[in-house]
Amino acid sequence: MKKRGNNSDALAKASASDSNLISNLQVKFKDPFFWSDWLVVVAFAVVIGFFGLIAPAEFLTLWNLNNILVAASIPTIIVVGQTFTVLTAGIDLSVSSTMTFGAVSFGLAFTNGWSLWKCCLISIVAGAFVGLLNGLIIAKRKINDFIVTLGMLSVASGAALVLSDGKPRQIISESLSTLAINDKFNIPYLMMVAFVIVLIGHFTLFHTKFGTHVLATGGDPDAARAMGISIVKVKIAVYVISGALAGVAGILAISRIGSAEPAANTAILLNSVAAVVLGGVSLFGGRGSIFGPFIATLLLQSLLNGLTVIGVAAYYQYLSIGLVVILSASLVRTEK
Amino acid sequence: MKLTKSIKVVLVAISASSLVLAGTTTGNAAPKKALKSIRIAAVVKGLDNPFFIGIKEGIEETAKNYGVFANVQAAPGLNDDIGQANKLDSLAGQNYDCYIVIPISSNNLSQAVGKITKKKKTVINIDSPIDSASLAAAGGKVTSFAGTDNFAAGKAGGAKMVAAIGAGKKIGLIAGLAGNVTSNARIDGFKAGAAGATFVGPVNADWDTTKALDAANAMITANKDLAGFFAANDQMAQGVGKALKAAGLKIPVYGVDGIADALAEVKAGSITATISQYPYVMGKMGVEACIIAAQGGKVPASTITPYYIIDSSNISAALENKSTRGYFPNQTPPGAYNDPYTALIKK
Repeated sequence: MKKRGNNSDALAKASASDSNLISNLQVKFKDPFFWSDWLVVVAFAVVIGFFGLIAPAEFLTLWNLNNILVAASIPTIIVVGQTFTVLTAGIDLSVSSTMTFGAVSFGLAFTNGWSLWKCCLISIVAGAFVGLLNGLIIAKRKINDFIVTLGMLSVASGAALVLSDGKPRQIISESLSTLAINDKFNIPYLMMVAFVIVLIGHFTLFHTKFGTHVLATGGDPDAARAMGISIVKVKIAVYVISGALAGVAGILAISRIGSAEPAANTAILLNSVAAVVLGGVSLFGGRGSIFGPFIATLLLQSLLNGLTVIGVAAYYQYLSIGLVVILSASLVRTEK
Repeated sequence: MKLTKSIKVVLVAISASSLVLAGTTTGNAAPKKALKSIRIAAVVKGLDNPFFIGIKEGIEETAKNYGVFANVQAAPGLNDDIGQANKLDSLAGQNYDCYIVIPISSNNLSQAVGKITKKKKTVINIDSPIDSASLAAAGGKVTSFAGTDNFAAGKAGGAKMVAAIGAGKKIGLIAGLAGNVTSNARIDGFKAGAAGATFVGPVNADWDTTKALDAANAMITANKDLAGFFAANDQMAQGVGKALKAAGLKIPVYGVDGIADALAEVKAGSITATISQYPYVMGKMGVEACIIAAQGGKVPASTITPYYIIDSSNISAALENKSTRGYFPNQTPPGAYNDPYTALIKK
C-alpha cells in the first residue's frame, strides 16, 4: 500500500533534495576526477578570454578563429588515436613518423598516377600497417609500449626516407587544395573531417562493446581478462586505430603543405601527448574521454595562435606552452 | 509605422556597411604610405639556427632605421613545416602591409601565401625560394625574391678546396635536411667547382651539429684517405670539426653561412673556411622591398645576395662588430655589394 505523503513531508523532501543538490555539487567539486574532466574546458575558456581581452580586433575575428580550427585539425586526428592507446595504459610514440610514412606512401602512389582515392587509401593502410606491427609486438611479445613505439618512431621515419629517397614529392591536386583552403559556414573542411573522427571516436568508446573493452583493458586488465576480454586483441586494435588515424592525418598534412615530405615532424607527437594529459585521460589507462583531448588540442593551438598574433617572440612562446601544459597537468589528478 | 521603421533599419544597415567597406577596401595598387604607418610581418625558419637570428637582426634593425613596424615570428622548429604554415596563417589574418617569408620546404607556405595574395598584400620571399608551381596552384604571388645563389657559393668553395688540397683527392660531403633545395644546390655547386675530386656521400645530417659529427666519424672510419670535408651549413661544419679533432686529422673543412660560432672556429683553426652568407643583408633587403611596395614603387623581381669565402686571411675583418644592438659580427660583407633596393625608397 502506497503511503500518501502530506504537505510537510513534501516540503521536507523538497528542502532535502535542495541541500542534496548543493551537497552533490560540493561532492563533485571535491572529486579530483571531476576537475580532470572539466579543467580543460575551463582552461580553454580562460585562454580564449585572455587573448580576446588583450587583442579582440586581431584574435576574435572569424578569419583568426578559422585559422585556429585549421591548425587544430591535424593534431586532433592524431590525438584521437593517441587517446585510444593511452586508455589501454599504453602510448604511441611513433605517430609522427607513421604520419610521415603514410604521407610518403601517398606521394609514391600519386606520382605513379594512382587515383586520389586509392592514394588516400594507401596512406591509411600504410599507417594501419605500422600500427599493426606496434600492436603485435606490444601485445604478443609483451614488450613495453613506450620502448616499442619509440623504436617504431625511427623505423617508420627511416622507411619513409628510404621509400622517398629523401626527396619530397610535390602533390598538386585540386580536390586536396579545396579541402585544405575552403570552409562552409565558416568551419574549415579540415576541421569538419577532424570533428567527424572525434564523433566516431567518442561513439566507439562509449557506445560500443569494443569501447568498453578498451576502458576495461586499461582500467583493470586482470578483471578484464577474467571477464573473457582478449587483452591481446584490444591492444592490437587500438594501435591499428592509432596508426590508421596517423595515415589520415598524413593525407590532411599533404593537403595543407602541398607535398609529401619525408622529414618527420616531432612537434605533432609532443603536442598529442600533452593534449591527451591535459584532456583528462589517465596515463595509467581506463579513464578519459575523446572530447577532453579534443578541447585540449584546441586550447594548445589557440595558445600558439594567440601568442603569435599579439607578437610574443618565439622564445617566450616555447616557455608559455610548456608552462601551461605543466600547470594544467599538475592540476589534473592522474593517479588511480 | 512599421514600414518606416524597417526602412530606417535598412538605411542604417546600408550606411554602416558602406562605412565598414570604405574603411577596409584597399585599392589595387597600394597607395603611397608614410614610413611610420608601414607594418611588416616576417616568418623565418627556426631560431635554433643563428643564421635566422641574423635575418631577424637584419629585419629588426633595418625596420628601426626606417621607422617602420616589424613583427618577426619563427617556425617552432627547423623542421616543423605545418607549424610554420600555421604561423603564417595567423599573421595573414592580421593588419600587415607586407610579409617576408622563408619557407622550411619549397611548398609548405604556398597556401598561406595564396591567402595573403587574395587580400592584396605584398609577399617578399628571401633565402629559400618557394616553388613556383605550387605557388601558382594556390593562387599566390611573390613580389620579389632575394637570396644567395647557393650553387655559385658551393662552386666557389669547391674550386678553393681543390686549389688547397690538390687534384684527384677524396672529399667527404655532409648535406642538410633530405631533399632540401638549398642543401642540394650547395652540394651540387661544390661538386661542380671541385672538378677532378672524388666524393664520399653526400650524407644527410639535417643541419644538425651532432648528426654531422656522427656522419663525419663514420666517413673517417670508412675512408682513411679523406683529404677534405664540405658541410652544407656551419652548424654541421662544427660537428665535422669536432670529429676531425677527435680523430686527430688535420684536413680542411668548409662550411656555409658565416655564423658567429663558425667564425670563432675559423679564427681558432677548427674550421678552415666558411662560405659566408649575409642573412643580415637579406633581412635588410626584405624590409626595403616591403617599403618600396608599400610606397607604390616597382620592386626588383629578384636579387642575388652576396657571399664571401671567409678564412684565416680575412677573419679579423669579419669579426668586427657592426651592430648597434649587441655583438653581431659579419653582418655585411668585407667588400662592396649590390643593394638595388636602397635607392628606390622614397624618404
